[in-house]
Amino acid sequence: MSDLERERREAQRELNKPDERPDPSLKITRRTFLHRSLVAGAVTGAATYGWFPLINTLNLAFGAQAPFSFAWISDTHLYPKTVNTRFVEKATRAVKEVQAMKPAADFLMFGGDLAQLADPVELRLGNDILKEITIKKHFIPGEHDWYLDMGKTWVSLFGNSPWTFEHKGVQFIGLDTVSRAPDYWSATKMSPKERMGHMATLDGSVAGPWAGVGSDQLQWLSKTLSPLSKDKPIVIFSHNPLYEYYPPWNFWVRDWRQVHEILKPYANVTNIHGHTHQVLYNEIGTMRSIGMLATSWPWPYAPQGVPQLTKPMIRANPGDYFDGVGWAKLNVTAAPKVEHEYMMWRKDVYAEAQVDSGTGDNDNQILRPRVADQMWPYK
Amino acid sequence: MRKILRWRGGLLLLAAFLFVFASRMDHVQAHKEKHTPEQLKAFQDVFMEQVRIGDLLFHGDGDTEKKFDVNLSKTGMACAMCHPFASDTHPHEFPKFQEQIQEFATLRDMINWCIENPNEGERIDVNGPAMKALEAYHYWSNKGSVLDPGKH
Repeated sequence: MSDLERERREAQRELNKPDERPDPSLKITRRTFLHRSLVAGAVTGAATYGWFPLINTLNLAFGAQAPFSFAWISDTHLYPKTVNTRFVEKATRAVKEVQAMKPAADFLMFGGDLAQLADPVELRLGNDILKEITIKKHFIPGEHDWYLDMGKTWVSLFGNSPWTFEHKGVQFIGLDTVSRAPDYWSATKMSPKERMGHMATLDGSVAGPWAGVGSDQLQWLSKTLSPLSKDKPIVIFSHNPLYEYYPPWNFWVRDWRQVHEILKPYANVTNIHGHTHQVLYNEIGTMRSIGMLATSWPWPYAPQGVPQLTKPMIRANPGDYFDGVGWAKLNVTAAPKVEHEYMMWRKDVYAEAQVDSGTGDNDNQILRPRVADQMWPYK
Repeated sequence: MRKILRWRGGLLLLAAFLFVFASRMDHVQAHKEKHTPEQLKAFQDVFMEQVRIGDLLFHGDGDTEKKFDVNLSKTGMACAMCHPFASDTHPHEFPKFQEQIQEFATLRDMINWCIENPNEGERIDVNGPAMKALEAYHYWSNKGSVLDPGKH
C-alpha cells in the first residue's frame, strides 16, 4: 500500500466514522431538480445506473425564517474582449439569467476566477458585466484574480475576504482559499506576469500546493463559529473544495484536515465551491460539499479522487462551447428545504450511462505531470 | 605424391580462408549491432526532447509556437486548459470514428480539429515537427493507459 493510500484510509477512518453523517434532518431526497426535460425519465435512469443518492436536491431542515433563494456564478475566466469574446458571452448570459429570476434572488454569490490572468482590464470587464445584477452581490477570489498584483485590483473592486453574514436564519461564510500560496516566485525573481502565468496553469508544477485556508483564517473561522449553536445552518463558500479531491490540480485545500476539526461540532454545514468546473458532491463527516459549474469551460474529472457520492456530469461536446457550463440557483423554501439546481445550458446535466459519463475513461486513464516547466531554462 | 600434396595444401588454404571468413561473419552479415546503454540513452533523450516541445506547445508557449511557425490558438486558450495532464485526450483509443469530425480519425486529425475549432487556431502539418511533438506529449502523458483503439 502506498503512503498516499495509507494516508487516505486513515483520513477516511477519522472523518467518516460509521455513526457520523450530516444531521438526520439533512435529508437527501430522490427528487431531482434537473432541467425539466430530464425530470420524467431521469429518476429511473439514475436508479438503474446506480448513483444514489441523487444529490442535486438537498433537504436542509433548518430554521430558515422565510423562503429565499440565491444564485451562484463562478469561473468566468474573462479575457479582454479583443482576445476572446466567448467567455464574455457566457458570463453575460449567466448574469442576464440571474437578473431575470422570478422571484428575484436575495443575493448573488460570485465564487472566484472572474478574470483569467488577474489583469485589471479583465477584472474591470467582469465588474461591468456583473453590474447588470442589481441584487446584493458577495465575492470571494479565485487564483486567477489574484497573483498579478497580489489582489490589489480585486480588493479595490470587490472587497476583502473572509467575511460572514446571517440571512434569514442561515449563517453564510465566504473564505479566501487562494491568496496564501507558499512563495514560489521570489527565489527565481519572477515578474508578476510570470508569477500569474504559473498560477494560471492548473496542471503546472511550479505554483505547487497553493490552495489553503491558512492558520490566520482557520483561527478566524473558529472564532466566527464559536458563538453559533451547533445545529445552526451554516453555508461556507470557498473557491476550492474543502476536502482532498485531487491535489495536483489544487482540487483541495492543503489544510482540509484542520478545517474539518473546526467544523466537526456543527451538524448543518454545507460547503459550496467553484474551481473544479464540474458537477461534484461529497460528504465529509457532517459536512456536505457541492461543486459548481463554470460559465467558461468544463474540466475533465480527475483521474483519481472523484467522490463516490458524485453523480458524474455528461461528457461535454468540445465543439459546443455552451455544453458542460452554466451557473446555479439555490432555493430555500419554507418547508424548510434547499433545492439546488445546476443551470447548465444544454439539456443533459448528468450521465445516465458509463459511455456518456465524464468519468467514463477513468478506469483506463493513467496520467503524468508535465515536464517542461521543471526543466531549465523554462522554469 | 606431389599432386596429393598440392591438393592437401589447397584444402588447407581453403580451410584457413574459411576459418578467417567465418570468424568475421558477425561483422559482415545483416545482424544489427547490439545496443549500448549510451545509445539507448540517446534515443530516450531524443524522445524526451520531443515530449518537452510538445508539452510547451500543448501549454500555449508563444516562443515555441514562433519557433515552429505555428499558431495553435487565437482565443488565448491553450490545449492544457481543457486537458490538464493531457487528460480526456485518450490517445490510446485512436484511431476511431470521431464524432466531432464525423469520420474515422487518427489522433493527429483530432489534434488539428481542436486547434481549428475550440482554439480557433491554424491547422498544422500532420507530418510536421510540431504535430509529432504534440503527439509525443500526448502519448507520454498517457503512458500506461491500455491500448483500446476504436473506443468512443
